[in-house]
Formats: sequence, structure tokens, C-alpha cells
Amino acid sequence: MERIVQILLITAAVLMIIQGFLHRRKHEKDHSHSSFGHKHDGSVFSIDFYAYASRLRTWSPKYKAVFSMVCLLCCIICDNIYVSCAVILLMAYITVVMGGLPFRRYLSLMTIPLVFLFFGCVAIAIGFSGSPSGDFNLHLGFFYVYTSKESLWETLELITKALGAVSSMYMLTLSTPASEIIAVLRGIHMPKLLVELMNMIYRYIFLLMDTQCRMKNAAVSRLGYCDFKTSCVSFGQIASNLLVVSLKKGNAYYHALEARCYDGELRFLEEEKTVSAMQTAGALLSVSLLLCIWRLTV
Amino acid sequence: MAVNRLIEKMEQEVILQVRDLQYAYSDEKMALKGVDLDIRQGERIAVMGSNGAGKSTFFLNINGVLQSEHGEIFYRGQKMTKKTMNDLRKNVGIVFQDADSQIIASTVQSEVSFGPMNLKLSRNDVRDRVDEALSYMNLTDFRHRPPHYLSGGEKKRVSIADIIAMHPEIIIFDEPTAALDPVNADMLEEVLEKMAQEGKTIMISTHDVDFAYRWAERVVVFCDGKIIADDAPLAVFSNETVIRQANLKRPMMLDIFETMREKGLVKDDRSYPKNVEEFKYCI
Amino acid sequence: MTKKQKKLIVFITSLCGMFAIVPAANAMHIMEGFLPVSYCVIWGLICVPFLVIGFMHVDKQVKENRQTMMLLALTGAFVFVLSSLKIPSVTGSCSHMTGTGLGAILFGPCVTSILGLIVLIFQAILLAHGGVTTLGANCFSMAIAGPLVSFVLYQLLSKTGVNRKVNVFVAAFAGDLFTYCVTSVQLAMAHPSPTGGFGYALIKYLGVFAPTQIPLAVIEGLLTVVIVIGLETYAQDELKKVGFLKKGVQN
Repeated sequence: MERIVQILLITAAVLMIIQGFLHRRKHEKDHSHSSFGHKHDGSVFSIDFYAYASRLRTWSPKYKAVFSMVCLLCCIICDNIYVSCAVILLMAYITVVMGGLPFRRYLSLMTIPLVFLFFGCVAIAIGFSGSPSGDFNLHLGFFYVYTSKESLWETLELITKALGAVSSMYMLTLSTPASEIIAVLRGIHMPKLLVELMNMIYRYIFLLMDTQCRMKNAAVSRLGYCDFKTSCVSFGQIASNLLVVSLKKGNAYYHALEARCYDGELRFLEEEKTVSAMQTAGALLSVSLLLCIWRLTV
Repeated sequence: MAVNRLIEKMEQEVILQVRDLQYAYSDEKMALKGVDLDIRQGERIAVMGSNGAGKSTFFLNINGVLQSEHGEIFYRGQKMTKKTMNDLRKNVGIVFQDADSQIIASTVQSEVSFGPMNLKLSRNDVRDRVDEALSYMNLTDFRHRPPHYLSGGEKKRVSIADIIAMHPEIIIFDEPTAALDPVNADMLEEVLEKMAQEGKTIMISTHDVDFAYRWAERVVVFCDGKIIADDAPLAVFSNETVIRQANLKRPMMLDIFETMREKGLVKDDRSYPKNVEEFKYCI
Repeated sequence: MTKKQKKLIVFITSLCGMFAIVPAANAMHIMEGFLPVSYCVIWGLICVPFLVIGFMHVDKQVKENRQTMMLLALTGAFVFVLSSLKIPSVTGSCSHMTGTGLGAILFGPCVTSILGLIVLIFQAILLAHGGVTTLGANCFSMAIAGPLVSFVLYQLLSKTGVNRKVNVFVAAFAGDLFTYCVTSVQLAMAHPSPTGGFGYALIKYLGVFAPTQIPLAVIEGLLTVVIVIGLETYAQDELKKVGFLKKGVQN
């Protein structure tokens, strides 16, 4: 028994290390990338970038939002490992095969929440105690790390549930640009102020990111990131400068809006994307399938 | 010839009349110190002057974004008040210097539709105008792209399509070539030429004297919040005092032509060439 | 267990520790699907009164002056960008600021709650940090509880006349720490330990996240100091505009 726990621990550790390495490599790559140009800035806005490239972009955003939310809720409400696995597979199929996202990219996106998942689950799966009180115990000097079959199973259920939920969200976000999601929010009568703010913020995020990138390059080129202390100071100064510069530009942005008859409300022409009968049928079929699985396995 | 055309234009209808316009951002510094200007149908005006001379402030004033306490603006003979400011915004369009500061929406199509939507047109009209503006600027393929993944030149084209879709009578370009590479600058000049052929009224602020000399038929020079010269390009660029006062330079074409004339390489009675084509014709 | 095995475990755990800090980035965003439905709803409901107050405050400001909208949008984008930037660290690892302490100090808790909500939505959509179902819980810990603590501490310490740098540091640090505690409470409530119940689960969660969150809170505090000092030195005018956003919070 001790063996098994040891193996589990070691596997977890190895996974963490691999994940850590991947993450670091990804960041190093982004780093060299960002010094060259700030577009398609890998780690930061990859989801946004894929959303525009997805083949599912022609689908109605409302449809995608409703479908992904229903699947997400299925995952959480059913709280059933088989349903969760079905959702994971289904969503991966939709995003990767139908949406045309490279599978490796999809996998690397799935690692984003992995860290939280790891920590969150460790706390559930294992316990510490002075005596060996679980099914599996590991003696570490003064105390025992223990776990039980039930809590392991519970953890596994939680992991699949969370991954199912995440993949449902990915189905939406990897096929629908934020502006369309905001339009859906407007459709469900989110307060106007919030919707408008979101629209503007979405646009300005990219402007600010751009400015920040240039400032950072300028700082790096003057050795502003040579050691930890300098890095902190440079980082802070760039951040404060970024706020100042953008607030100063605020006037110009506002004038540009007013020059085109802005009267306090942002109005855009939105495409009407219709939902085909096939899509409706597909969604109904998938959801009933999920419910069937649930009924059969409860 | 140019003078003749100018006189011809003088008879055209005046769209916008500005009388003694003054404007101050804060209490101390006046940005505009009494500007008078008439803009007629179909004119091509280059607005020159060093940074901070008041060009941009002037544009924002005649577009109605900034409202001055002192001075009058007449649009087609009608005096503009606070209530009618929207008429100015509808009919005077500004393409801002920095396309990024102008673009607000997250796809090219919705960006271009922003102006027409604000004009409270019907959905179909908006759609037609967007289609027209996009094809005018050769952007139809970019319709569903987000502005943050476009290049600088493409963004500029979007910002111009923005204004075209509003069908203003006067289009103002605020330093349009400032951040463009040569190819995009050429593209811009073609667009300007096309618009001029269609009889649109265009005002451009620029620091490029050669461009102003070959393109404009009227040059307005701002200096320290006032207009110090308003004439045909040749007259303005021949005026040493104006050039010195406004930190300008003489266009290269003018210098070359005059040097060659001094040396007797061209005939004296030829009129001044505006561009390379005309220049070839002279010699 | 043999000595060799023990060594191996110690080695692996320390490696884990080193790399664990790496992407622990926004680890305090509770991920999508991690909370049961009832908790999603409850935390969402708890947020509502705070958000309504924040919304009314912001709405009033915008109605008074339409241009405020632009400032709000820019500051919102700023907070988002700040939270998505890699912050410097000794090990070359990567983590991010939350920006909530800074938001509370500069703009007050009302504005921060609304901007925080929007930033969280964007983090869920664009960065896959946090989620839609856990928005309520995350919003409470990051956009409401943390900023409130930062703001209250900042106001209190300003009155006592402590060194400004210390004041800003303490406010940002405490805000971050409080966020971390609230999140642990939320997690422990949703997943109490079958043997030890809520209290035991809370201790476990606090323990598991401590190695990443406490250093992060320190760095966040330091960076916030640099940013605030930078703003005060170079941006008196802009700070006035921002201060205008903050006005009306105290009453």
C-alpha cells in the first residue's frame, strides 16, 4: 500500500515538473517572441487569437453560449464521472475536429488550470495525521500523510468535473471572440453601463498591451531587467507610466468618439448569425445523451 | 493655371465659414487666436504649420467636438449653435492621426458601422454604407477581422473607411502619412486622388511640403494659433517670411525648377511644375 | 521506507516546490467547475449587494460626466493588463499581480468592485483563469473582500501618519493575503474534509497555497509601492482625475 502512495506522489511530482518546464519553455518562447513583435502574443492572448481563427466562428454566438453553458451545468449538477468524461470528449471533438484547432494547442491550453487543480485536489485527497488513519499511509518522520480510497475517488470525480467544465468553457471561448460574447451579454440584458465598459475595455486591453510591450523593450534595451531589484523597479515604473500614458490619451480617444457623433451609447452593426436545424438537433442530441448517461450510471 | 482654377473655385458654394474663432484649453494658453477661413465645395486644402500651431484644435472645433465661446462657424450659411453641433459632426469627418485612438470596435465591420449607426440610419442603410466604405478602401476581405490583428496601414484604411461611411461633405485628414510606410503612403495618395476626382472636399494637415505642393490647390499655414498664409501653393512657398515663420521648407521641386531656370535649362514662360510628370514636360 | 527512498521523496518535494511556484500564477482564481452549484449561487448572491453599490456609484459618476466612462475603461484595461503581466521573480519563474490592492488604493473599493468584476470576466474568457460558474466566489474574494481590506487599511494608516511607502505596502500585502484566506475559506466550505470537517480542510488549503501566495503577496506589495510612488511623482494631473473617480467613496 505504501508503495502505491509513493508511486502516486512521485507521478504527481513528475507531472508538476513537466508542467513547470513546459510552462517555462512557453514563456521563454513568448519572451523572445515579444521582443520581435507583440502580435499574437502567445501566452497572453492565444485564446483570443484562436477564437478568430476558429471554423466555428460562423455559428451563432448565442447558440454556442447556450450550448456550452448547458454542458457546463450538466457537468456540475450531475456531478457524475461518466457525464464529465463524455463532456470532455464531446467538447474536445467540437473544438478540435469541428473548430479546426490543432490538438497540441488544445492540450497546452488545457494545462492552464492544471496548477490550481493540482493544489486544490492535493488538499482534498491527502490528510496529515499523527497516526496512520487512512487506507494508504506514508510515514514522513513525525507524521503520516494518508489518503483513502473514497477521497481518491472523490478527487478523481472532482478533477473530471472541473476539466469537463473547463472544456465546455473552451468550446465557447475558443470559437467566439470576446466582442461577440459581450453582445450575448447585452442580449441577456446585462446593465448597459457594464456592457459598454466591457466593449471599451476589450479594445483598450490590446492598445495598452502594445504600449506596455514597447515600454518594456525600451527598458530591457537599457538593462532595466538585469537583476531582480532592477526588474522590480522597472516593472513598477512601466506600470505606473502605462497608466499615466493611457489616461493622457483618454482625451484623444474621447474626442475621436465624439467626432463620430457618439452620444453616450456605443452602437455597432452586429451580424445576425442564424442557427441551423442541424445545429439545434446536434445540441439536443448531445444533451439528451449526457442525461441518458447520467440516468444509467446513477 | 492654378490661379485660374482657384478663381473658379472661388465661385463655388461655400460649405463652411469660420469667423474669428478663438479657443483656449485652459485659462492661460490660447490655442486659437482668431481664425477666419472659408471652405468651398470640392477644394483640396493642405493645412501646414509646426506642432502646436493649432491645426488639430482647429479641426476639432470645426467638427464640433470642441466648442468655442468666442467666434462663429457657419455651415451652409447657417450659424452653428450648441444645438446644431451634431450637423457639424455629421458633415465634417476627421480621420485622426493615430488610427488606434480612433478605432473603438472589435471587428472591422462593426467599427465602420459605428458612425452610420450614430446617424440613426436604418439597419439596411447602415449595411449599405458599410459595404460601400469597405469596398472603397479595399477592405471587404477584412470585414470580420479584429483591428488588433491588423497592420498599421490596414488600420489606417479602416480609420478612413470609418469616415467615408458617414458621407461627410468635408473630410479632414490629420497628418495621415505620419506613421505609414512608403507603399501605404502611396495607397493613401491614390485614395485622396480618387476622392478629389469625385469632387469631395478634402483638408489635410501635413508636414510634408513636397506632398502639399504637388497635391493641394490651396495651402493654409497656421502659426501660433493664427492663419498666417492662405493661398495657392506656389504663392505660399515662394513667400520667404511665411516659410521662416512657420518652420517650413521650400518644396524640392520648386528649388530644382528655379535653379534650372536660372541656369537657363528650362524656358522661362513655362508654368511651375507640380509633380515629376509635369516637370518632365518642362524640360 | 529505506533511506534512499526518503531522500528521493525529499528531493522530489523540493523540486516540486521550486517548480510549483512557477506557474502558480493566478492560482487563487478558483477554476471552472470546482465549486458545487449551491456554492456558485450563494457566492454570487453575496456579491450582489456590493456590486449594486459599486454600480450605482459608477453610474452616478458617468451620468455626471460622460468622459468618466473613458477613464474607467482605460483603468479597467490597465488592471487587466497589469494582472496578465509576468512579474519579476528571483527564480525566473512566472507569476502575476492581482492588482486589486492597487485598484483599491487608487480608485476606491466601489470602482474596483465593478472593474474587478469585468476584469474577472475577461480573465475567464481570454486567459482561462477562473471561470463563469465560479465568478461569484472569485469576485467576492478578489474584487470585493481584498480591495475592501486594502482600502480600509490604507485609510486607517494614512490617518496615523505612517510612512507612505510602508502604508501602501501594508495595504496591498494585506489585501492580497486576505484574498488568499477568503479563497481558502471558500474552498474549504465547498470541500470540507470528511474526517476533520471545515476547519481541517481550511488548514489544509491555507497550507497548500501558502508557499506560493505569501511570497507573491510580498512582491505584489513591493510592486504596488513602486507603482504608487511612480504615479505620484509623474502624474499629479492624472492622479487628480483618478482621485475624482475615488471621490464620494468615503461618504
